[in-house]
Amino acid sequence: MDEHKLLMTRRHFFGVGSTGIGTAALASIFAGEARASGGLPGLPHFPPTAKRVIYLFQHGAPSQLDLFDYKPKLQTQRGNDLPDSIRMGQRLTGMTAYQAKFPTAPSIFKFAQHGQSGTWLSELLPHTAQVADELCIVKSLQTEAINHDPAVTFFQTGFQIAGRPSMGAWIAYGLGSEYEDLPAFVVMVSQGVGNTQALADREWGSGFLPTKYQGVKFRSGADPVLYLSNPPGYDGTARRRFLDDLAKLNQITYQDFQDPEISTRIAQYEMAFRMQSSVPELTDLSKEPPETFEMYGPDSRQPGTYAANCILARRLAERGVRFIQLFHRGWDQHNNLPKEIRGQCLQTDQPSAALIQDLKQRGLLKDTLVVWGGEFGRTVYSQGALTETNYGRDHHPRCFTMWMAGGGIKGGLTYGETDDFSYNIVKDPVDVYDLNATILHCLGVDHTKLTYKFQGRHFRLTDVHGNVVRPLLI
Amino acid sequence: MGLARILCLAVVVLPLPGAIEFNRDVRPILSDKCYTCHGPDAKSKNVPFRLDSEAAAKAELAGGKHAIGEGDPASSELIRRITAEKPAQRMPPVYSGITLSDAEIDTLKQWIAQGAKWQKHWSFLPPVSSPLPQVRNPSWARNPIDAFILQRLERENLQPSPEAGREALIRRVSFDLTGLPPTPAEIDAFLKDSSPDAYDKVVDRLLASPRYGERMAFRWLDGARYADSNGYQYDGERSMWRWRDWVIQAFNRNQPFDRFALDQIAGDLLPNATLDQKIATGFNRNHRANTEDGIIPEEYAVEYVVDRVETTAAVFLGLTLGCARCHDHKYDPFSQKEFYQVFAYFNNVPESGRAMKYGNSPPMVAAPTPDQRQTLDDLDSRIRKVEDFLRERDAQTADREQKWQRHIESKKPVYWAPNQGLKAALSFENDKKIKPPAFAAGRIGRAASFDGTSFLDAGHVANFEIEDRFTLAAWIYSSGAPDGSVMSRMIDQPKGKGFGVHCDHGRVHVNITSNWTDDAIRMETEQVLPPDEWHHVAVTFSGSRMAEGIHVYVDGRPAKMRVLLDSLYRPFRNAGSKFDEPFRIGTGWGPERRFRGLIDEVRVYSRVLSGDEISALALGESIPEIARKAAAERTDLEKLELHSYFIENAAPADVREASERLAALREDQEKLERSFPTVMVMAESPVPKSTFLLVRGAYDHPGGKVSPGVPSVLPPLPPGAPNNRLGFAEWLIDPQNPLLARVTLNRFWQMYFGTGLVKTVEDFGSQGEWPSHPELLDWLAAEFERSGWDVKALQKLIVTSATYRQSSKASADLLQRDPENRLLAHGPRFRLPAEMIRDQALLDAGLLVEKIGGPSVKGYQPAGLWKETSMQDMDYVQGDGEDLYRRSLYTFWKRTIAPPEMVNFDAANREICVVRETRTNTPLQALNLMDDVTYVEAARFIGQRMMKEGGATPDTRLTYGFRLVTGRFPSSGELGLLRGNLQFHLDYFSGKPKEIAAYLSQGESKPDSSLDARQLAAYASVASLLLNLDEAVTKE
Repeated sequence: MDEHKLLMTRRHFFGVGSTGIGTAALASIFAGEARASGGLPGLPHFPPTAKRVIYLFQHGAPSQLDLFDYKPKLQTQRGNDLPDSIRMGQRLTGMTAYQAKFPTAPSIFKFAQHGQSGTWLSELLPHTAQVADELCIVKSLQTEAINHDPAVTFFQTGFQIAGRPSMGAWIAYGLGSEYEDLPAFVVMVSQGVGNTQALADREWGSGFLPTKYQGVKFRSGADPVLYLSNPPGYDGTARRRFLDDLAKLNQITYQDFQDPEISTRIAQYEMAFRMQSSVPELTDLSKEPPETFEMYGPDSRQPGTYAANCILARRLAERGVRFIQLFHRGWDQHNNLPKEIRGQCLQTDQPSAALIQDLKQRGLLKDTLVVWGGEFGRTVYSQGALTETNYGRDHHPRCFTMWMAGGGIKGGLTYGETDDFSYNIVKDPVDVYDLNATILHCLGVDHTKLTYKFQGRHFRLTDVHGNVVRPLLI
Repeated sequence: MGLARILCLAVVVLPLPGAIEFNRDVRPILSDKCYTCHGPDAKSKNVPFRLDSEAAAKAELAGGKHAIGEGDPASSELIRRITAEKPAQRMPPVYSGITLSDAEIDTLKQWIAQGAKWQKHWSFLPPVSSPLPQVRNPSWARNPIDAFILQRLERENLQPSPEAGREALIRRVSFDLTGLPPTPAEIDAFLKDSSPDAYDKVVDRLLASPRYGERMAFRWLDGARYADSNGYQYDGERSMWRWRDWVIQAFNRNQPFDRFALDQIAGDLLPNATLDQKIATGFNRNHRANTEDGIIPEEYAVEYVVDRVETTAAVFLGLTLGCARCHDHKYDPFSQKEFYQVFAYFNNVPESGRAMKYGNSPPMVAAPTPDQRQTLDDLDSRIRKVEDFLRERDAQTADREQKWQRHIESKKPVYWAPNQGLKAALSFENDKKIKPPAFAAGRIGRAASFDGTSFLDAGHVANFEIEDRFTLAAWIYSSGAPDGSVMSRMIDQPKGKGFGVHCDHGRVHVNITSNWTDDAIRMETEQVLPPDEWHHVAVTFSGSRMAEGIHVYVDGRPAKMRVLLDSLYRPFRNAGSKFDEPFRIGTGWGPERRFRGLIDEVRVYSRVLSGDEISALALGESIPEIARKAAAERTDLEKLELHSYFIENAAPADVREASERLAALREDQEKLERSFPTVMVMAESPVPKSTFLLVRGAYDHPGGKVSPGVPSVLPPLPPGAPNNRLGFAEWLIDPQNPLLARVTLNRFWQMYFGTGLVKTVEDFGSQGEWPSHPELLDWLAAEFERSGWDVKALQKLIVTSATYRQSSKASADLLQRDPENRLLAHGPRFRLPAEMIRDQALLDAGLLVEKIGGPSVKGYQPAGLWKETSMQDMDYVQGDGEDLYRRSLYTFWKRTIAPPEMVNFDAANREICVVRETRTNTPLQALNLMDDVTYVEAARFIGQRMMKEGGATPDTRLTYGFRLVTGRFPSSGELGLLRGNLQFHLDYFSGKPKEIAAYLSQGESKPDSSLDARQLAAYASVASLLLNLDEAVTKE
């Protein structure tokens, strides 16, 4: 598709339209009226249940065994070698492939049922437990990758090797932004306390789509967006005059060349100017009432934390940003899992739950899809020595848990089942393509029809795979 | 919107004036709309009917029908199905989501009505050099390119545009050929030059400039996915800049393109390959390389080869071969088997799928720079001189040596051992600092005695890493089979990290370990050392990080080794943690496996000792002993020791001095060699690897074995070419190959005009776009080959054409009719690429440091960017001085976090091969140009130049600055606006000394204190305005 359609949208960014504008159109840009646009014609394909997505990516792969996938029978297996009948020749990473033993390590954390739905959750997630009835917990995710980099890339782009657009970029390309003063796709990264893995720009990159669709990273600190602030000593009044004169000079060039790129550029400078106020206004949490911080927990007052980013995610959602993705690092617990996972949960449990509650109380949850999860699961057997209080877990691609909420997803549902070792799926497997197809579906996008022609092929996020997991939908 | 779509269709697919041409009009429809099911891969969908070959498409169907009834659309099943009313009958099927437009259906009908003539896909046919077309206005044409362009324009009833003004022209061509704008002086010279060949002279000057190679290299690096880091998870630093510099030089010396291609694909396999030819093969080692813990190396070894095939195909053939990795190509006639046949050419590299965490991964070569080579040659000649001198003096001092030998016969035992690179020598005689737990009579004098619980900490005398060269040597004695750790620099526990020499029931075991199970080299001797004897054990390591780099000697002779594990990737200092272990004697495996017995004469060297030197160490004979032997009975080794001892200790002062000088020079030589940059290169495994078709492309699902081969739709290997990578390269550059010239010149065309003659520069296959000027493409291809692949001549041909020289002004009508300027009724006008925007600002500011080549540099970057997403030990350490002002070509490129000022302006990300240029227009670009310290500092320097070089009045200064940035004089309207802007800023900064100081302090450089600060701040602000002009960032 879409070279032609793209031509129509190439003069858009964050939904700013320009159609060979002259002075009259300039005036309307200067007025800064908010408009929604920038998506492809014909999209959404059908009425969406979610207008936007907040994706809480738990980077490094949280242990399903210690958080969601309750396995009471496992306690009797403590220390026993994982039976071959369960492992079934599954390939292992080089980190444990040479281990002489694969001692079964049941979780040392207590599980209980919560909410009317009776959802099983570990004691590590007391706040999540309070919103259990909003969550759809999928225990039967599976992936193809067993190492972080390809696994995250697979989740984000539908392919393990670099080069494809990320989901957020696809969505920005297909649906555009609801609000022109902010990008359609915003990314925020926070640091955990556990073993940390590297991230790459490609995880929110635009691949072969034009670069304007890539995620814009919001950072904590003076410049939430790179180069946002004027140089020291140079304030907004000077910048205003600067831009007025710049526009006039560029207008002279436009008269000469009639090149619509010039008018687009004028508009983009105005957009940049508006971002200089809209972004700091957005990221400034000082006007949030104290209840907000109580709700999101003590970390939330500190910029750059997962908790603060969750508040920002809500603020971005309120402003209509289409795809908001948080990455929280530190879930890669090969060793000292009990200690590290406690720390990770202290950082993330309350804010994640608060986000759900907050969206709900503002009436946003019904059309905001929230997704929580990492790139794979972790092994039932211990990496390294198993003791009464300590163990580690290696990467496990065959089953793991994620949750979704809001935006047309059934709350209080637990979907999919794994065997007694949380090693294999025994019911309702959901692969990464299925998950991504389902997310697109909530946004009103048929995942088989959002395509882009590159190297002669009509590429899509789900390649040639993916089925919408309909039982999860309201 | 509808209008625009029709308009661009009008450009892409011409209105059809009568004759339908299969390749131009029909194949694109069949390919895009039908081949997914009825194409080369139809069998995988169990679809019996195929439309990708004439025979199949026209074959008789069941019931005597034909899909394509030549000349008779009405009887053609194909037409019936695509026009069927019933959804169940209609093609393409509803579920496919693909639809045919009325125009497309009409085209297919007309084609059949006209006889349904079939053609082989155009790009697989050799270029046909057609005669120059006849045009109505031949005087416009400056060279053959123009005839083709004009013919098309005339057909469309369009006029070419007049020639661009000289100021615009020289700016355009300077950017295009050197990546930098012209200086005002260069513009003036061109304006003044009234000779008819004034423009050609400019072009010649630019092509001769070393900047030309830098400009061409940048685009080549995009396609070659060059970067300074490995990519994937850890994304550690690598060093491929010697390859990058080779590319620059190859363009600058105008290496014929066919040789340029051949060297990069298979330079290493040429007879007597030069270092440069080996470096060139770095092209196919520029792919990403995975170092993540726990990966399965075989999985990534496959990815690397796939990347090579995809990149080679895209860059040299314009083909999407990678689409045939998992199944037969959906659109082009490439089977999956053929993909693996090409794969086989690139699959014979002795490499591991898991790359070295830091630095380059084998195979690689030391690649001294020309300067280093010069220094090395100088050292060599100095060493030769000293050696000559010593030889000469040998003869003269022979008598004295004889006398000395007799004298020393009766002296106390002394010993000779090599001293160069010696880090520690522990003899356990009189050392006060390092005392062993106990003494005993040793092999020489006293030895250290260990009881199986004790050990000796020898301090930090062996702080070697896995990339360092070293030698460890010692005498050992044990009353049983030697057992336990002899010496090590390890975390002292079983399977600990570090390196060590241990004995295991009499076998000598050597390990270099980052992680015992999967990240180590481990080997042991086949032989078992007999008990109750002294044995000399020595280990050398070349720093290669591979088992082949370790040599073990027992009693002076090379020992036969068993390699237990050969997969070392990470240094001991992993993830930024220091590795602080000392060198220990008698332990290394924890308390359980300490040495029981005697250890003597431990020596540690920071170099690889030769076999002779090791033998000398293992001789264990004192100098007096040797001297007592009759000269004829002395072995060569004994002679060497005796003579060396004499030279170093008893020779005349000038000889001793010379020998010291020689040792120092050799040490320098060793150090220099160690400092050579390396570059990863292609090489062939001595034992050929087998290649298998991989089912669904998966590394762990091998299918049938395949042998190397080229796709059958293309010509075969040229006669006599070997069926290996070299043969493949010869095939690539063979005149029979229909693609190389077309694909290459098309990319150059894209550089100049923004879009290729074939817009899909990466895809010349069936899904690629039909050329806007097919005859021109072929004519240029033939010309390129005829010229001997003369790259500079091709550039010159293009940039001296009337087509290129047109003004880029276009009427609104024309812009609407041809928004992408495919017809070239006017000159190119589009935003400059990322690197040119930055380089221009630096040049205009007078800050640009022009130095060709060298390691990549770290310019300005917002703090913390790397840290936020990288592994813990990775932070961006910004360079200073010159590093901040080099051309963008030399900016350090970390793949997972590419330089933001490049990415913001649509630079290719270098994760994979990218050959299509794209341009967007975003607010992030505006912020970047207004606020990035690079541009704020450059603006200050431009402001400074305006004040110092621009005359005395605001008008002359503003004019000077405007011209510096845009290459032309401002109009009076523009000057008026600038004047107003300057005055505004003068007023704005008035009474704001603190703001002025802050504004002027951006960047590392200091403002000129002789200038009035307020004035400077105001001029700097105007300069920033200039750098942000649309015109400044646009080639027009």
